[in-house]
Amino acid sequence: MRYITLVILLLIAAGLQGNFPSFLSLFGAKPDFIFVVLITFSLDEEPDFGAILGFISGLIHGSVVGFALGSFIITRTIIGFISGLVTTRVFGDNPLVPVVSAAWLTLVCEGLFIILNPPSSFFMAVSTIIGKCIYNAFFTLVFYAVTKGRESRRKTFQIQSKYI
Amino acid sequence: MGDKFKNSTIVIPIILVILGMFIGAGYNQFKSSQYGIYTQDAATFLSAPTSYIFSSAFSFIAQASDAVRPRRAILRENKELKARVEKLSTENLILKDCNHENQRLRNLLGLQESIEYKNIAAELISRQESSWFDTFRINKGKNSGVVVGAAVINQDGLVGQVVAVGHHTSQVVALTDMNSSVAAMVQRSRSQGMLYGQGTDFMILTYLPKDADIKEKDIIVSSGAGQVIPKGICIGEVVSIQKNAVAGTTAAFIKPYAKIDQIEHVLVINPVKRVSE
Repeated sequence: MRYITLVILLLIAAGLQGNFPSFLSLFGAKPDFIFVVLITFSLDEEPDFGAILGFISGLIHGSVVGFALGSFIITRTIIGFISGLVTTRVFGDNPLVPVVSAAWLTLVCEGLFIILNPPSSFFMAVSTIIGKCIYNAFFTLVFYAVTKGRESRRKTFQIQSKYI
Repeated sequence: MGDKFKNSTIVIPIILVILGMFIGAGYNQFKSSQYGIYTQDAATFLSAPTSYIFSSAFSFIAQASDAVRPRRAILRENKELKARVEKLSTENLILKDCNHENQRLRNLLGLQESIEYKNIAAELISRQESSWFDTFRINKGKNSGVVVGAAVINQDGLVGQVVAVGHHTSQVVALTDMNSSVAAMVQRSRSQGMLYGQGTDFMILTYLPKDADIKEKDIIVSSGAGQVIPKGICIGEVVSIQKNAVAGTTAAFIKPYAKIDQIEHVLVINPVKRVSE
């Protein structure tokens, strides 16, 4: 059930990704909503879960784009795994954690991606990655706040129903 | 990180990465056949409902912002458009006359068109974007006669090329995609080169000689080399030029006329008949 919910979320992210207005692009980059979902959910989980979620998100993203399917799967699997390792050393509830993690994981992910698929202009690739880091960090904060808020409300409701 | 790393197994990510390599290799093999587009069809089908909702929402916002424009701005735009229609109508008459004259002269010289093209009207059904790729899908495929490599245009000019064809849909790679390459030339000087997408809003025209006659605001059109994309389709205009004295080459950054993110309807130009002269 948990995986089905996440797959549905990833498909919603894919739908939003394709329709994000171009005039909102930052340094030629647009936010990667599928990546945002991956980071938000794999940060709080075990590395294995992150890797599996990364694999699924790479499969969905690569299939939708229609190019470099293998690169999408490999990079997202690695990032999901790394993301799962992050929260053991840092305080996961601090909103800075998902923001900073999303930014540097975007950098690693896109770095790996351009190694596998070298772009024709390195300078433009760098500016695109910077834009994407900023966007992904921002949307991860928003998405993380929404999911965390929902989770804490659910826990409060459970406690209330148990003791009151 | 240590405990968590010890508890978890590194085997699962390694297996998944290797599996990803096989899936990627297999996908590339099948991409030339129809199977590649079937997987894409499935992914697009699954994300279609949300895609439709977001697309409707964004277009509603765009329409709403248009609707609240002040009357004065609409009147000014109307005046400008009327003037433009008048200018284009005059130009159209001159061009029609030139076309007739061109055909008469070609007949006199015994020249024939080496290739004929068939236009297929299509509608964009989904857009698949990432930071590195810019592709979209249209609702016409093999059954309508679309072939791989066919040019896709709209009212502004060349938009992209068909890269994969299914029975009822086709995948189009936009000009700005980093996998896109089109033979192009400067309309004014006829200097020829190759136009590559950059994965950004601009393209780069390369393989121009170091003394190529090119300047800013020059119009770039398709050169027709390869006889897949018809000659003379407008692509964009030059925004900046880079000359490399050491390598002896010139490159130019091109801004496309077609607004890739605003495309709704397109024409697929299929090469259908080759006539030997």
